Amino acid sequence: MCGIAGRILKTAGKVGHDLVELMDAQEHRGSDSTGFAVYGVPRESGYVLRGMGFDKAQLDTDLDDFRHSLKQHNCDLLEEPAILTNQDDHYCVRMVISDPDDIARWIETADTLADRFEVQSCGRSLEIVKDIGSSEDVAEKHGVRDMIGTHGLGHARLATESSVLPNASHPFWARPFPDVAIVHNGQITDYYTWRAKLERKGYRFLTYNDSELIAVWVSDQMKNGLTMDQALRKSISSIDGVFTFMIAQMDSIGFAKDRFAMKPLVTVHADDELAAATEEQAVRRVVADGADVYNYDGPALTNIWYSAAQKAAAA
Amino acid sequence: MSEVVIEVGKRHIREVNEEIQATVASGDKVILRNTLSRHNLGIGLPDGAQMHVEGSAGYYCGGLNNGASITIERNAGWGAGEAMASGHITVGGYAGMSCGAAMLGGTIHVKGDTGPRCGVAMKGGNIVVEGKIGYQSGFMAHAGKIIALGGAGESCADALWEGEVWVAGDIGSLGVDVEVVEPTAEEVADVDAILSPLGLQDSSRNWRKMISGQRLWYFESRDANAWLMI
Repeated sequence: MCGIAGRILKTAGKVGHDLVELMDAQEHRGSDSTGFAVYGVPRESGYVLRGMGFDKAQLDTDLDDFRHSLKQHNCDLLEEPAILTNQDDHYCVRMVISDPDDIARWIETADTLADRFEVQSCGRSLEIVKDIGSSEDVAEKHGVRDMIGTHGLGHARLATESSVLPNASHPFWARPFPDVAIVHNGQITDYYTWRAKLERKGYRFLTYNDSELIAVWVSDQMKNGLTMDQALRKSISSIDGVFTFMIAQMDSIGFAKDRFAMKPLVTVHADDELAAATEEQAVRRVVADGADVYNYDGPALTNIWYSAAQKAAAA
Repeated sequence: MSEVVIEVGKRHIREVNEEIQATVASGDKVILRNTLSRHNLGIGLPDGAQMHVEGSAGYYCGGLNNGASITIERNAGWGAGEAMASGHITVGGYAGMSCGAAMLGGTIHVKGDTGPRCGVAMKGGNIVVEGKIGYQSGFMAHAGKIIALGGAGESCADALWEGEVWVAGDIGSLGVDVEVVEPTAEEVADVDAILSPLGLQDSSRNWRKMISGQRLWYFESRDANAWLMI
């Protein structure tokens, strides 16, 4: 019983603030951990990375080794990393890097360090912030309310099939596809079947969380020629389980819901803006009480909402 | 009966419900304002109580109702009137999944559509829906009537027991172990008697009454043919 949320703003603004509100209203659905995926104004070149190291005593060594992985692929830091350390064992880093020769090959190299330091998001626009604790805890610790962007996702996690760890929190980045992130409420019952198939194609997973798998599954379908709409529809008949997931790209947020109609999604979509959440009471935190909501309560449903601001920025 | 406005906002719901109970105990009608679609509003209200929700309500509004009259101006979230024993709940708009789940008596009147599994496991009472009932509505309903004036979604009346699902309008598909039967004039009169106080009686409706096929009632796993029949 996790809680998920999505938000699209008409123009770039305090999307972080809205996502915190959406998740704060759903804290009762899972307070093991909370996470946010924020899509800022996209860079023309270079990637923003968010990463997590698991032993802050090793911070300097980790970052030296990580920087070496960048240089192996002809890229480097474009600015000094912003490092967050506190009372936890782990630490979090935000970096901006130049374009590697091949992003998939670089992340493969970087992942050789994943037992010490893992990249949790990579994109021209995407930044994933996630940690143990409630929405307010994570927001305060990581400054999420001040994050500016056009759209984003939020997640409150009630851990079921994998551990309560900072890096097992949602959202998940669809490794190695830049700017793709997912939040998910549900359980995938053929997880190991799909994981084996995707691993045979060369994909790597850093957790045993089924949400991480769906993100890669959808991205792989799109890599093989399906549109997002087609991939989302296909997920309903291909992936077994009960689920509602939202997957975001640089220009949009899509969602899919299983055939058994067990996991809710409520939206208000008007005037180029979207507020979506598991529960209507969350949506009401960011839109007026009088706005009409749409309940995606039925079985086997999909939709995609586009960011007008990202479209304008790309034009 | 005078009206007392109770602001909900971000207050603790237990505190709001205590104020609702105290207000109806003193004989006043409750008006809930600024609800922000919060959950669990007006649970277990007693006979004779009256409550009106301005805007929408979240999950389980009017649950365990014991004779109260509750109106929700706009939408209700999942489980409106869950396990209610008696009374009347009116939802002005849409009612989310499992509306009237396990209800024992009373009437729920939804002016819009409902989500999936409307009346799931209901054990009595009536649910009247002016719009369409969602996927798998009537699932394992043991007693009572679900009356849908605007049609039904997929898998209608799936695994129904002794409840009845009445539909005027299109049905997406039938669930397992369901039979569609021609209602008698007496049965139609019974349904009209439910609809009439709501101003919804219309003799021109083409009713389809769904009851259990009873093949799952005594099902044994050894009887594989029974599954194949279904």
